[in-house]
Amino acid sequence: MTLSFRTIGKHGYAVEYSPYFHQRLACTTSQYYGLAGSGTLFILDSTPGGFLLVQAYDWNDGLFDVTWAENNENLIITGAGDGSLLLFDVAQSKGPLKAWKEHTKEVNSVDWSQTRDEHLVLSGSWDTLIKMWDIGRNQSLCTFVGHEYIVYSVVWSPHIPGCFASASGDHTLRIWDARQPQFARTVIPAHNAEVLTCDWCKYDKNMIFSGGVDSLIRGWDLRNTRQCAVELSGHQYAVRRIKTYPFDGQILGSCSYDFTVRLWDIRQPHHLDCIQHHKEFVYGLDFNVHKPGLVADCGWDELVHEYSPQCLLPR
Amino acid sequence: MERMKVMFGHLKPISAALQSEEVKGQTPSRFADSPDDICVVSALRTPIAKAKRGAFKDTHGDDLLSQVFTAVIKDAKINPADIGDICVGNVGDGRSAFTARIAQFFSGIPETVPVSSVNRQCSSGLQAFMNIAGGIKNGAYDIGLAAGVEMMSKNTIADRKQFSDLNPRITEVDNARNCLIPMGITSENVAKKFGITREEQDRFSLESHKRAARAQQQGLFDAEIIPVTANVVDKDGNERAVTVTKDEGVRAETTMEILGKLQPAFEEGGSTTAGNSSQVSDGAAGVLVVRRSEAIKRGMPILGVLRGFAVAGVPPEIMGIGPAVAIPKVLERAGLTVDDIDIFEINEAFASQAYYCMKTLGIPHEKVNPKGGAIALGHPLGCTGTRQIGTLLHELKRRGKRGLGVISMCIGTGMGAAALFEFPGN
Repeated sequence: MTLSFRTIGKHGYAVEYSPYFHQRLACTTSQYYGLAGSGTLFILDSTPGGFLLVQAYDWNDGLFDVTWAENNENLIITGAGDGSLLLFDVAQSKGPLKAWKEHTKEVNSVDWSQTRDEHLVLSGSWDTLIKMWDIGRNQSLCTFVGHEYIVYSVVWSPHIPGCFASASGDHTLRIWDARQPQFARTVIPAHNAEVLTCDWCKYDKNMIFSGGVDSLIRGWDLRNTRQCAVELSGHQYAVRRIKTYPFDGQILGSCSYDFTVRLWDIRQPHHLDCIQHHKEFVYGLDFNVHKPGLVADCGWDELVHEYSPQCLLPR
Repeated sequence: MERMKVMFGHLKPISAALQSEEVKGQTPSRFADSPDDICVVSALRTPIAKAKRGAFKDTHGDDLLSQVFTAVIKDAKINPADIGDICVGNVGDGRSAFTARIAQFFSGIPETVPVSSVNRQCSSGLQAFMNIAGGIKNGAYDIGLAAGVEMMSKNTIADRKQFSDLNPRITEVDNARNCLIPMGITSENVAKKFGITREEQDRFSLESHKRAARAQQQGLFDAEIIPVTANVVDKDGNERAVTVTKDEGVRAETTMEILGKLQPAFEEGGSTTAGNSSQVSDGAAGVLVVRRSEAIKRGMPILGVLRGFAVAGVPPEIMGIGPAVAIPKVLERAGLTVDDIDIFEINEAFASQAYYCMKTLGIPHEKVNPKGGAIALGHPLGCTGTRQIGTLLHELKRRGKRGLGVISMCIGTGMGAAALFEFPGN
């Protein structure tokens, strides 16, 4: 059973489930496929009768990524095509509460730290820079320099304090220590192509996965990054986003320019499931952390879907 | 429009060559093709002759091996100097590495090409293939030649010198002592332990001969066999040249009655006979192994792609059950089941063990050895694994569609090996 919501006139870039409410998700979108025009952040509640629109916030440039606050159920941050970072309070119909403008180009990725006492936000931008933010301050805390092309994805390690990873169009995956913004701790030439996405294994602090324009997904053991520990192939075009499954360390999901979402068991060379319900590029993907097996995705066909793939059902 | 440019940059096709299959409109592979895939581009063998009595009884191993080397190089249209390494599987030849090097020179492969030999008993021919596959995977080279040869006329297991100076302590360790059990007795052990009857063994053997005879008649071995001319010395000492084009062991006329009359060969009151065991034979087989990117670069048609390999140990006294352990292992690693496989080439060392493995794994008989097996064709030990690769891939190719096949064999001293291949479709 699939629930669907049409983001009329807006093309999906990212979906993220709320860490507080099992039914709530956020979807960022852009007009004209994100190539020009404005953007909208949708806050949706899934109900047995379908999706309910809770809030919709417009911004005058495309919105490319979104992350929920981990210390407040109503706060949410998005990255915008004009380089700004925007903070919204979903209890209020007007927004944003705050906008930070430091990046000189599109902000492609935002991530809120999950395991630390300090609540810090990362942003990755087309200006090759990564910035770290405390939402109580007016400027970024620091800027991480090193990537040579667009930073597509930044993700905090769920295990190691102050550690995060970044994926870049310069073909590398980099691992950083938040205390050392001058250089990355590890540089992995992860793909022979642009690296568009990465995510950490939630069960093994040494494992991280990357996805690239070469259509491959690779798993890396940080103790030995000379070669990948896992390689998953099957996508026919670039892998736009990967997400590791919160309930099983061997499972991950991916969405691609080949219009599909695939689910993988990293012990098997081929996918577990290939979902073909989009008619355009699929950009957004997330697993619900409250309900095992529940997945949301969004794409350029103006559709947000919520569903439970067969292969994630309890056996 | 930087955004347009960046987005188009994400849409570079993976590689036109790798995607060509999509265009052909076939059922998509269960596996995704990678430029580093291990591919078979040529697989050929000599006919298999009866040991001591057959056409190759007076032929040297290097001569026979050289015939397949030459044939495979010609078939793949490669410059022999481009071969990165050669590995030859063999069991009984005490100087197999030497024999392999001589065969190389007989075939005009320059001295710059290295060679080794390998012995994993009856899976030596498959092990040779895996050694070459490993070399390619490791990035050591892009093209390798794997082969197997066994001259059982000249090298018989029983009279091998190595068995004359055994460590007396062998008798103190059960598993070590059990390695001395003759293969025929391990067959009796399997039959007894798992209740495989004489009739089941004979019927399985009859089917092997019938299938092999039918395949011969229909010319189904033509794609894999090269004709070989050999000198044979008759009982009066006269030498004459014979050209062999077919496996000698196939008995089209055999019946249950004929098989039923044969006496147990290894144990009084047993069920294993000369008729339901593999034949003692001479033969050689070769496979040219190429990294996919190299095959594409050279425009070589791909006959098969290696999709998995497993080897496993079993108790030495029932070594015949090896495939029943190795096959599930290779399938599990590939995320497949028996139903996904079109053909199983399971070596018929003995009908008892081959039948047991087939039944235990629940494989329908029509999927197992569709062109007959070693009971009809013969079992030149070191050659068999390489021979099976060719037999499997040429049959998948004849059927035309994309298909998956497994080759497997039991291994003396207690092991089983299995390899999974995909034929990409015509």
